[in-house]
Amino acid sequence: MRLQAALFLACLSPAAAIYPDEINHVDFHHALLGAPSADSTFFLKPSPSSNASLLYTLSDKLIVGAVNPRDGALVWRQNVSRSANSPANAGLLRGLDGNDALVGAAGSYISSWSAQDGKLGWENWVSGGVVADLELLELEDATASSGLRDTVAVINSEGTGIVKRLNGNNGRTVWEYKDASGDVPFQVSSSSTEIFYVSLQSALLKGFKIKVTALDPLSGQVTRQQILNSEADVGTPESVIYVGANSASPIIVWTDKAQKTLKVNVIGTKEVTSIAIDNTSGSDIRQITVHAPHKLNALPHFLVHYATETGAWAEVCHVDLMSGKVTKVYQLPYLPGQSAVAASVIDANVYFTRITDSEALVVSSASHGILGRWDLQKPSSDSALHSVSEVVAKGKSVAVRSALFRKHGDWQLIRNGQVEWTRHEGLIDAVAATWAESAVQEDLAHELEVEGHETVIGAYLHRVKRHARDLQYLPDWLKDLPKRILSSILTDEVSNLDSFGVAKPVLVATKNGRVYALDTGNHGAVSWGIQAVETSNWAVKAILASPGAATIYSDDGSSVTVDVSTGEIIARVEPSSSKLLAIAVLGAQDGSKLATVGVNADGSPATSFADEDGFLVTTSADGRVLGWIAKDNKIPVWEFVPPSGEKLVKATARPAHDPVASIGKVLGNRSVLYKYLNPNMALVTAVNEETHTASFYLLDGVSGKVLHATTQAGVDSTQPIASAMSENWFAYSFFGDVSGRESSAKGYQLVISELYESPSPTTVVLSTPPAFMIPEPISHMAVTQTRQGITTRLLLCTLPSSNSIVGIPRPVLDPRRPVDRDPTAAEAEEGLFRYAPYLDFDGKWYLSHTRDVAGIKDVLSSPTLLESTSLIFAYGSDIFGTRATPSQAFDILGKNFSKLQLVLTVVALGAGVAVLAPMTRRKQVNALWKI
Amino acid sequence: MHFSLTSLLLLGASALVSASSLTITIPVSSSLPNPHVLPATSHATLTTLPSGEKEHTLSASLTRSATFVFHDLPSSSLDAQPESYLLDIRSAGDYVFAPYRVDVAADGTILGIWETFRGNPWDNRGTEKYIVDVAGKKQLDVVVEAKVIGRKVFYEQRAKFSPLSLVKNPMVLLAVVAMGLMFAMPKLMENSTSIAVSAFCLIVYISSNLNALVDPEMRAEFEQHSRASPITGATNNAIAGGGFDLAGWMAGTGSPSPAVNAAGPAGSTGRDTSGTARRRG
Repeated sequence: MRLQAALFLACLSPAAAIYPDEINHVDFHHALLGAPSADSTFFLKPSPSSNASLLYTLSDKLIVGAVNPRDGALVWRQNVSRSANSPANAGLLRGLDGNDALVGAAGSYISSWSAQDGKLGWENWVSGGVVADLELLELEDATASSGLRDTVAVINSEGTGIVKRLNGNNGRTVWEYKDASGDVPFQVSSSSTEIFYVSLQSALLKGFKIKVTALDPLSGQVTRQQILNSEADVGTPESVIYVGANSASPIIVWTDKAQKTLKVNVIGTKEVTSIAIDNTSGSDIRQITVHAPHKLNALPHFLVHYATETGAWAEVCHVDLMSGKVTKVYQLPYLPGQSAVAASVIDANVYFTRITDSEALVVSSASHGILGRWDLQKPSSDSALHSVSEVVAKGKSVAVRSALFRKHGDWQLIRNGQVEWTRHEGLIDAVAATWAESAVQEDLAHELEVEGHETVIGAYLHRVKRHARDLQYLPDWLKDLPKRILSSILTDEVSNLDSFGVAKPVLVATKNGRVYALDTGNHGAVSWGIQAVETSNWAVKAILASPGAATIYSDDGSSVTVDVSTGEIIARVEPSSSKLLAIAVLGAQDGSKLATVGVNADGSPATSFADEDGFLVTTSADGRVLGWIAKDNKIPVWEFVPPSGEKLVKATARPAHDPVASIGKVLGNRSVLYKYLNPNMALVTAVNEETHTASFYLLDGVSGKVLHATTQAGVDSTQPIASAMSENWFAYSFFGDVSGRESSAKGYQLVISELYESPSPTTVVLSTPPAFMIPEPISHMAVTQTRQGITTRLLLCTLPSSNSIVGIPRPVLDPRRPVDRDPTAAEAEEGLFRYAPYLDFDGKWYLSHTRDVAGIKDVLSSPTLLESTSLIFAYGSDIFGTRATPSQAFDILGKNFSKLQLVLTVVALGAGVAVLAPMTRRKQVNALWKI
Repeated sequence: MHFSLTSLLLLGASALVSASSLTITIPVSSSLPNPHVLPATSHATLTTLPSGEKEHTLSASLTRSATFVFHDLPSSSLDAQPESYLLDIRSAGDYVFAPYRVDVAADGTILGIWETFRGNPWDNRGTEKYIVDVAGKKQLDVVVEAKVIGRKVFYEQRAKFSPLSLVKNPMVLLAVVAMGLMFAMPKLMENSTSIAVSAFCLIVYISSNLNALVDPEMRAEFEQHSRASPITGATNNAIAGGGFDLAGWMAGTGSPSPAVNAAGPAGSTGRDTSGTARRRG
């Protein structure tokens, strides 16, 4: 039976699947990680056999990821925030060269991941604590079996410090050291012979003393303890600048309060070396960072980087292994502007890479001679926050590649001064997006409008002038013509579809106040990015696109208007009113005149809207649905309150652009079922968390009448309940449980209902089948939009558990499919086939095919000038865009159309005519002679 | 003695942890010959309706050894009802795994694991994968094998260009036949007209009946149709009748044979219908 259904499906739904050669051509995907954190980003060789290294990071979104430094492509990623129970503000990630395991920690969660493919090695939850620091043991002791290196973790368990050594292969605890003295657990460091547990001991009056406890790596026994008198300088844990990790002589670095002297202690010794800070810049030091090699066999050299508001310099220091003394060796001079420094190691030699606004240079830690210097090809105005570098020595010269993270969220790889790639990690915070309209078409529309309003002669003259003006483009056009003809034969796509509106730019607003423009016609490349608002939490409520410009509205009543092509800020409206709950967009059906109305938290419009016959449906923060008419923003016309115990979770309406190609449906018996096409319907979802029910109310937006209400039992309200509406149908999905009756099914369900006009004018006929069981949860639903609505619609479903987007063809979900019987001849003629309770997602429905599109919160669809094609853009965490052709690209000559074959046929016909013409002529002449 | 000591230790451990673990291994199968090719994003989930403070959705990532491990299955007070979880394994949409039903007792130990079928009642259990020992000896770590059902096909295959397809094209065939007639006909006419024309007619007949020859059902239908159709009827008659002057028929000059009269409408003579002609004959 299932096979039969599948066969029917194959015949019925026109395969809208993507061809393998269309990947990266019609679609694009930005697989994002988030802002890489400064101390958990590094280059690493994942396998001892290979020399190639990958770039690893743990981002501020707690995503562990590996990036190929060659092209910036994501190799693998794992989101550990789902496993980290307690909210952690920063995670930790550690790795070792040649050790195929990365160990990461976030909150109470520690996990080990295979460095090559990102598969889980082991995972651990520390009970009642937070991981404060993590270190991989580089030394190999006698007990260590072959395999992965062990991990030492410091856990802050409600004030008690616990040091644990975890087995690298299975994550089991080898030994544990508990520090119940009440000190603040701080960090862990190791040398070749000892493990140092660094904690901060509260001094009598104020400040902290740094306490170093040396532990035996094999048994975890305390071997000695040292307390450094740092209480005058160290007021908070943040005052300690650096605790050196894994170098031959690990160090602790801090400064005095006035930032005049740098204090360095080699861990394990009692001595504290003071180095005077030579601040010649005249301004205050804003930030001090220490860059030291992380390898056990590296030279004990380190670099201290001082940054002021306007410039930066650095000092290189050496540690004398015998005496434990620290000496300043040389200085990298003060340069105005930003600079980022990174340390890298080849064998035992230490190299420092410094990237400033205009150049990149490499020095050896041993001497101040510059080994390599490159001018940056494109100096960036965006300041660099941190970088990691990998240096390769080629004879006397060196080559360097640095991954530089910039303040505005761009992660760049700079190889010998050249920017190799840029990952726009700032896009991960996208909160709103819209399709922009370029101003070029607007000009023509304007000109045509002018012509329409003039007299016949005036319009004619205007048009002649316009055409004469257009002649200036003729030489260029002629020059391009041969190239266009050639390229159109050779390239994939038969014609360039950009002029049909398939290459619209998309504007994306992010949470931290930035606006990006993505070119969907060019693999979603970022055309520009600007800081529109200085904020860390931009609550964008609406983006309105007008030709050439877009206005972004925030919840405080402020708005920013940007130029679509350049990113310039054209206009800015300062915040005015109190916090708005939402912003409604009012407009005519053709979308020409758009206006916005703010909605207050109580659901009332902030202003009375001027549109005479307009009305508005709003939801309030306390879960009521209200209907308003124009000119009265005080008293609603109607109010819908869900029954007590139910909480409103979502309200959906038909999309603004939702053309209906056919108002009825012709049945097999040649009668017509007319669709109930009310443009003002709203589907309201309300859940009752106590009784595990979900209710769906279909409201008429004008009268507030409940057209239809249904309640589903056994619904998990903590799982996503998605809904969508279009034309005369609506769909929703939820997780349904057996709810006491073992005979019902357990799993995710999708319900679709259609509305038809009934003979009596007051009622609506509803067609609802039993729910479809679907294999996965759906977190968001949308419907494809095409220009005239002739093309079959797809129900776009975001699948959060398999990180994909699926487009279910509407005919498959027809609620009129016969249940428990085969279709009659009349029904078969309509294309109905037997209902099967289980709806498996066909692979060909996957718009994201094999891509891992993670964290999508919203999917937009936009019509193009081609009826067959609908643009799709998804954002939220990753960015994904594609073109959907639900009824296949019937108005485009696709790749299947071979121009070469056409040309060859024409040539062959020409040749045939050339051969046959003389023959016929001769024959005719012969025939004449015969008579 | 030694045994009892370890079991005591185990008991102690279970009292401390008070939960068991579930490990799902992926066996080598014909549809998945190497389980290590599964992408790192593959994961298994246990889902049920929330009840109390217990976690009701659990997730496990794919491990290096191509397994999914659920540590510490949720437990609650002993008087609580056992939970029944839906186990799904999802592999970036590529490989499709069978869903399982996992029943977990209130103390967090697994009571049983069965295959289940989507869209079927929950108590409609399939193959039993694990069941708790009736003697009451509870197993803390349960290992079951996942079942790969199939693989999703995401892509449409593009028709490849081949010269053979060009030959199959009816337009091309028509052109070839026309060319053949153009060049071959005059020469053949000179030699033996009747042979050439009968060969041509045979080609026409075979090509028009090709479908009917393939399928008996279709053939029956076709014959039914052909009774009504004068053209093919005539051709049939002609072939069956044997002594038919094809050349004459082609030329349209007419002949005394009644069969040729029957073929009238097909030729340009336009006299009578085949049925009536035969009845008269």
